[in-house]
Parts: sequence; C-alpha cells; structure tokens
Amino acid sequence: MLPLRLPCRVVLACSMSLCVCAATARAAAQRAPATSRAASRADGQWTMPARDLAATRYSPLARITTANASRLHAVWTFSTGVLGGHEGQPLVVGNTMYVVTPYPNVLYAFDLGTEGYPLRWKYRPAVDPAAVGIACCDVINRGATYAGGKIVYNLLDGHTVAVDAATGQELWNTKVADVSRGETTPMAPFVVKDRVIVGASGGEFGIHGWVKGLDLETGRVVWTAYSVGPDSEVLARAGTFRPFYDRGTDLALRSWPRDAWKTGGAPVWGWMAYDSTLDLVYYGTGNPAPYNPEQRAGDDKWTASVLARRPGDGSLVWAYQFTPHDSWDYDAASEMILAELTIGGARRKVLVHFDKNGFAYTIDRATGEVLVAKPYVDVTWAKRIDLKTGRPVLDSSKLTGASRGNVKDICPSLEGGKSPASPAAYSARTGLFYLSTNNMCMDYQASPVAHIRGTPYIGAATPYHAGRGGNMGAFIAWDAATGRTVWKIDERYPVWSGALATGGDVVFYGTLDGWLKAADARTGRVLWKFKVGSGVVGNPITYTGPDGRQYVAVYAGIGGDWFLLSGDVRSDDPADVRPPADFARDLARHTSQGGIVWIFGL
Amino acid sequence: MRPIFASLALVAALAACRGGDARGPATGTRQAPSAEPPPAVRHDEHVFAAGRVPPAAALDNPYRGDSAAATQGEKLFTAMNCDGCHGGGATGWVGPSLADGRWRYGGADAEIFQSIYYGRPHGMPAFGGLIPREGIWKLVTYLRSLPPPSDVPTESWK
Repeated sequence: MLPLRLPCRVVLACSMSLCVCAATARAAAQRAPATSRAASRADGQWTMPARDLAATRYSPLARITTANASRLHAVWTFSTGVLGGHEGQPLVVGNTMYVVTPYPNVLYAFDLGTEGYPLRWKYRPAVDPAAVGIACCDVINRGATYAGGKIVYNLLDGHTVAVDAATGQELWNTKVADVSRGETTPMAPFVVKDRVIVGASGGEFGIHGWVKGLDLETGRVVWTAYSVGPDSEVLARAGTFRPFYDRGTDLALRSWPRDAWKTGGAPVWGWMAYDSTLDLVYYGTGNPAPYNPEQRAGDDKWTASVLARRPGDGSLVWAYQFTPHDSWDYDAASEMILAELTIGGARRKVLVHFDKNGFAYTIDRATGEVLVAKPYVDVTWAKRIDLKTGRPVLDSSKLTGASRGNVKDICPSLEGGKSPASPAAYSARTGLFYLSTNNMCMDYQASPVAHIRGTPYIGAATPYHAGRGGNMGAFIAWDAATGRTVWKIDERYPVWSGALATGGDVVFYGTLDGWLKAADARTGRVLWKFKVGSGVVGNPITYTGPDGRQYVAVYAGIGGDWFLLSGDVRSDDPADVRPPADFARDLARHTSQGGIVWIFGL
Repeated sequence: MRPIFASLALVAALAACRGGDARGPATGTRQAPSAEPPPAVRHDEHVFAAGRVPPAAALDNPYRGDSAAATQGEKLFTAMNCDGCHGGGATGWVGPSLADGRWRYGGADAEIFQSIYYGRPHGMPAFGGLIPREGIWKLVTYLRSLPPPSDVPTESWK
C-alpha cells in the first residue's frame, strides 16, 4: 500500500574488511594496559544498552555517594537537533561517547578527552521517511550497542547498520524489516558473541513478529525466528523446546483462529538479556493484533510472552505467556533482568520482569517456572497469578471485545504498570530492583477492524485516567524475592525514564516534567534534582571520564506516547496544533519537545 | 494475508458506505467524467510526475453538511484505522491533528478528498483504491463537522 522509494544501500565489502582490520589493530592497542587497570577501565564504561548482558543497568562506580550527590551539577550539554522522543541511552567506550538520535537516526561520537567534548565524527544514514508514518508511537530509537570495534544500531526504516567505532565509516547495512508490512525498528540491537539480535515493532500494524540473528562481522541474517505460527517458523524443535507449563506441538499455531496468526503481531521491540552458562537469550514479545480480541479467539501464543532462545541458531528452549489472549494491549516487551535471589531459603538463578499487565514476575530462568508473581501497581483485570498453571485468574467483568461495549476502569492502562520503554535497574548490593511506574487506568471500547497491509490495525478506543490517589506515577524499589514494594517516590505524572543503580548506593531516574533525580537506593530519599529542559523518557547512565571522575549522562527530550498523548508539548508545526491529554492537562506547562544530551558530575 | 474475519469486516464497512449511497449522487453534478481522479498514487509522486497539482477544485462533496453522513464517516474513521495515525477524535497521534482547523494541504472539502484519495508525504497512504469515493466523501464530511477548539491559537494555564 505504501510505495517505497528506498535509497540504494551498497555494502562496501572491500573497504569493510579494511576497516575491520584497522579497528582490530586499534582495539589491540587499547587493550595494552595491565589487567587491573583494564578492569577498572571496564568498570567505567557503558558499552551496551543495559550496561551488562544480565540487563542490570547497575554500575559499580561509587565516587558519587549518598553523602555527596547533592553537589552534582551540569558539566556539559548538547542539542541533538532532533525533536522526537529521546528514549535509549548514550554509550561510553574508552574516551568516546556515542549518541543515537530518534529518526533521522544520526549517530554522534563525542571526544570526551578534549575540552567541550567536540565531535570526532557524525554518521548520517539514509533513512526512508516512509517509516515515519509506520512508527506506532513516535519515531524513537532505543540506542546502540558496541561490539568488536563496531557501533551497531537500528534505523527506523528496518535497517540494521554497523559503523566503525573509531572512524564512523559504515561497515555493513542490512535490511531486516519491511516498512510496507508495517514493520519498523526502533529497538536497540543485542549482541551475544558474534550474533546481533534484532526485532521489529508493529503490534499496531498486524505484523508477523520475529527476531533475527545477524552475523556481527558481515551483517548477514543467519536465522529468523517468528513469535507466532507453526513450530518450523517459531524454531520450536523437538527435543529442544521444553516450556514449563505447556505441552504439544504447534502451540503458537493452534492457539489462534485459522490464519489470524499471520497478522497477529507479537512484535519484539524491548530489551534482551543473556545467560552465558545456560546459553540462553531472553526477551519479551508484544501484544497480539488487533486490540479487538474477538478477532483472535484462543491464547494467541507466543504474544505477551517471554521467550528463551539459543543465540547461535535461534532455537526456542522455553516460553511462558504472561497474558494469554491479551485483551488489554499488555505487551511483555519489558526487560528480563538476570539475578540470583534467595527464595524460600534456596538460592535461585532467576529472571525478573515487570510486565505492562501490572504483575512483577520472578521466574526460574533455566526452566521458565514462575516462582513469584505479585502486583507492583494496582491491578483490576486479574485477581492473581496461579503459580500451578502459570495463568492469571481473571476478573471476567474486565474482559474486552467488540461485543462487550465500553469496559470501564481497567488497571493498569495499556501504557503499562511500567512501560517497557523505561527499563528497571537491579543492585546486588541492596538486593533491590528500581523502576519507574505508571498509576493509570483505562476504559476500553473495542470495535471490529479491517487489516490493510502497512496501515494501523488496532480496533479499540482506550481513554486513560489517573489511578487511586491521583499521582499518575512513582519510582519504586522492589524486592523480587518476596514480591513487595520497599519504598516509593510519588510523582505527579507517569514516570517514563529508565533507572540507573550505582555502587555508591545512589539511583537515578527522570520525570516527564523534566527533572533528573538522584535518590538513596536504600531509603528512597531524594538527594538531588535538576530541571533538564524537556521531559525525560531516556535512561540515565554513569561512566568514568578520562579525568578519572564519575559522570552521569541522560537525554532530555519528551516523546514516545507522551508527546502523542499530550500533543500540546509540541510546537513545531503551525498546521498541527494539539489539545492536551485529558488526564494530564497541564503537562505542557512544564515541558515541550527537544533533544538534549546532559552530563553531570561532582 | 488478510484474516477472513477482518476481510469480512472491511467488506461490511464498505458495503455500509455503498448502501448509504444508493439514493444518490456518487459524483458531483458539475463534474464531467473526464475529471475523475486518475488511479491512486502518492501525492508527492503525482505532483512531481505531472508537474501540477491534482484538480481539487473540480470535485464537489455530495454530503456537505449532512450530519448522518458525518456519523457514518466517523465510524469509517475507526473501521479504516484512520484513528490509528490521527488519533481518537482526529486530534492527532503520529499523524497530524485533523480537528484544529489548520490544514497543510488545504481544508476545502475537495482538498481533503485529494489528501485521502492520493495520500500525502511522510506516511499518509493513498486510500483511493481502498475506500469508495462515497466513503471518502463521508470521511471528509466527518472531519469538516469537527469544530476547532477555541484554544488553538493561545493555550493558557492558571
């Protein structure tokens, strides 16, 4: 339906191999220092979206403490020149900071070793503007990752690129997704050894969701694993696939009406984690399409699920569905944080997941057995999770569908008890998880809807309202071994930034009305705050600069659902003037759009 | 690729449009057959290929001011997923607001018709081959029925 005029993309195979050699030589030169110094240098870097493969967003850096955090101040800012929602986070590798903007996906490389942090280079990819109309929820990007001398990230229009980290030269550029099918690629790639794993958004366009494993050196697609469909497409192989709660073959086919799975969604747009001992990559899938559940009777596996795969060949090892037959747009794209916790007196290797559906799950990451599942925000759609079956015990009055009319007061709203866009952090020092939450509920009026390839496929009107107490958000500390909130900082608006935990027992988060805040990790006492110029939907990081000092960096730049919902935070188009969100009428009093990179220090 | 149910829903939605049109003027009386729009192409391609804008002024809305047609257009706005980009009530989402009284490509009935029929740059698909002309006119009638809010030029807080 949408004619594409893709720019010519030529992978320069010859120059690529030269660049690889050059990068390898440079990397070797950088590895020269002694081991202990290399270790402290590694401590001071932030080379992948969640800092480590366990997705903890924890840094051991401890120079910023609960005693001195009040002395934090801005040391540098940079306007990205882009207005879209600045989700994601910078990377710091050696003495360079890398920043990816929302569409048009410019990649900046800042020299942290020179006063004023001037650019070493910037990479301006050719991105198809048709993707702008296919992005469900603003033209955001969730960041890059560094591996093997390359910065790897996704362009909005379905291309994954690798750029030489030293020179900014494009090394490879692979088309992984098809905009004409409603697929876009804002997620951050996840690299395990020599495999680059990427997925596509499009749960609002009825895509056939997938992840792909690319070869890090060449960008070649090695395997494709769909979220739904026959075992052959899901890569559920006999003898390898052993889900904890389900038995049988073609589960992701038989849990759908005939052919509905082909436009059934289950996109992959969140965060991934990897356990090297088990050799498993974990990630969550998005909502089933359309939002009107009566067009897809059945469990709709594996939408709204966690999948565990082998990174080498994509084989599915186990899967668990958080929200069977999702009727509320409860994507499970939130991060899966790997931790070791003592549960019932036993030390367990678990993954912890804060689902949009309002429950926090602590799961045995070898088997997929749910150990703890408790609500971390107010939940009305289900009474509890039955740990024997793994299934939610539903409140039937909250089931939605075109024949059920307007169903009122469903909590949480489809923005999630926590948005998958705002990843949590985990500190093994405190044993606590830190996360931004939304205290919002919704009404849900579903309607029959037609699928037209490459256009939205939704079929529901879902107005929001504030939940109990009136504060629309909070930043909380969560004990995942017992399933309880340890402390909570109420916020006036939904909280949509990622969390950062540090070895100094200081945690950081940002707010929609534009504050970056530091809090005591053990008590939740706010230690410091600063108004950063636009609402924060990105994820703070920390690193050691070339001067040996600890810094904190974050993007300002409200966007994602929030600029769309509170349309009056934009002022860039005289022919497009929006009303405020009816549930947050004064947000635009405190913020408007605009991307800024901030760095803070003591 | 389309699920059967959804295809039926589409057919039903379109049949409703046709049904509503049985009485009437599928085309404006002043419109000669030669003024029929060419097959749907993207707006930018059309303009740049032909070197001139589409013949917007030659099109008449057969439902102008018809509140029943506006109501049918509102239903079509959801059934054809217009709200998926332009938001509920057409107040804007990833696509621009269509309820603010401001129009990038012209707010006359015929100009809005052209925008829907041919599509526009940066994501607006051409619906000319997907929605019958009468359905597009009902969408136009719905959008034209939305009163622009009074705080469009100045938004203030107390």
